[in-house]
Amino acid sequence: MRFNEKELVSLSRQPSQRAAELGMKGPKKGDVVKKRLVKLVVNFLFYFRTDEEEPLGALLLEQCRVEREDDQAFSIAFLDEAERKYLFECDSQEQCLEWIDSIVKASYEFMRKNLIFYRTEIHRMTGKDPLEQYGISDETRFQVNSGLQPITKEA
Amino acid sequence: MKLHKKILTHYLSCNSPVDKEGYLYKKGERNTSYQKRWFVLKGNLLFYKDRPGDRDLIGVIVLEGCSVQLCESEEQFAFSLVFSETGLGLRTYKLAAEDQPNQESWIKALLSANHSFLSLLVRDLEKQYEEMRREAYSSDTYQRSTVIGPDAERLAQSLITINSSPSSLKLGPGLREGRSYSTNHLLQAPPISSKPVCKRSPKLWPKRNAHVTPINGPTPPLGEWPLVGSGPLEDFGELHEHYGKEVKELRADWLQRKQGEEDNQEEDLIDFG
Repeated sequence: MRFNEKELVSLSRQPSQRAAELGMKGPKKGDVVKKRLVKLVVNFLFYFRTDEEEPLGALLLEQCRVEREDDQAFSIAFLDEAERKYLFECDSQEQCLEWIDSIVKASYEFMRKNLIFYRTEIHRMTGKDPLEQYGISDETRFQVNSGLQPITKEA
Repeated sequence: MKLHKKILTHYLSCNSPVDKEGYLYKKGERNTSYQKRWFVLKGNLLFYKDRPGDRDLIGVIVLEGCSVQLCESEEQFAFSLVFSETGLGLRTYKLAAEDQPNQESWIKALLSANHSFLSLLVRDLEKQYEEMRREAYSSDTYQRSTVIGPDAERLAQSLITINSSPSSLKLGPGLREGRSYSTNHLLQAPPISSKPVCKRSPKLWPKRNAHVTPINGPTPPLGEWPLVGSGPLEDFGELHEHYGKEVKELRADWLQRKQGEEDNQEEDLIDFG
């Protein structure tokens, strides 16, 4: 599958919400912890070998589960494969919690759900649809019933 | 750089909503003819394959850092995704729709597909929601109107920029000649009115905002786009700085003028010879 690599690499060089050197371990058996510069840009997690300009890889942070693993570590599981996790080791509890928070909130789908929630609530409280002022009320992506699970059912 | 593609294909096939899909013609990289492909837009990713039923994807375009522009082309209803104006060697994807309504619809969808658009929108609604809840519990009888904050105005500006097209939908340097767009009701953003109940004086929030791409001016370099990666604290800090500067300048101005007036007053009004 082709992708716009140059443009994605360019994206990895943009100012980031969160970037730090963390210990990173891949999901495969036999993978070991390696020091990587991990950088969060929009809903992508890039990881670099320290002092290298081009990232080693990019992980899309959608449909993933982020979990606290330890005092100072968290993991991200993709593809509903709970056992195949990427592990990240931080320097402190605080840093670990901050990373988890940022990663969860970076997801496009997470933002979409929040948008629909606020929209629904504001409409309920005021009788007005807040998206109307922007002329985007009709867009399917912001509809409550567009194939999404209702918020209340989320664990 | 390794892109973990399985994660992308999994995202595509999961039950989150598809934002738009349909046939578009795509100009090849080597083979410069336009090929018909089935495109699926989800979030800030544009996937494409041969036919809707195909399991295999041909490719994906990450829609961050690009502008959507009308373009000159042998093909009708063409538009392009331009990743770089500044010679960084980044690509321009040329696409064409089957007809004008589709062209319009795709351009609109792609313009607002980026992460920051949604991020700003959510932040804005979140503020409205919180304001509303505060009002609901306060003892004052406040009009239950939608309070439009500075972020909203900024967002509204960028949406109006998207929605009203002079002769092109380009958010980039200069204006290309070429097709003008018939604006239909879908593209018109209703005018934003600041209700009297809004606590902030309209004067303090000038329409010219630091974070809106000027439609007639040069595109700020990619590093200056407030879009990628700016957290809420940064944004507010910047906004605060920006308006703080204006206030400081105004104040300095006023003080200077005041000085000037005092100086003049030292002269006697009547010449006593």
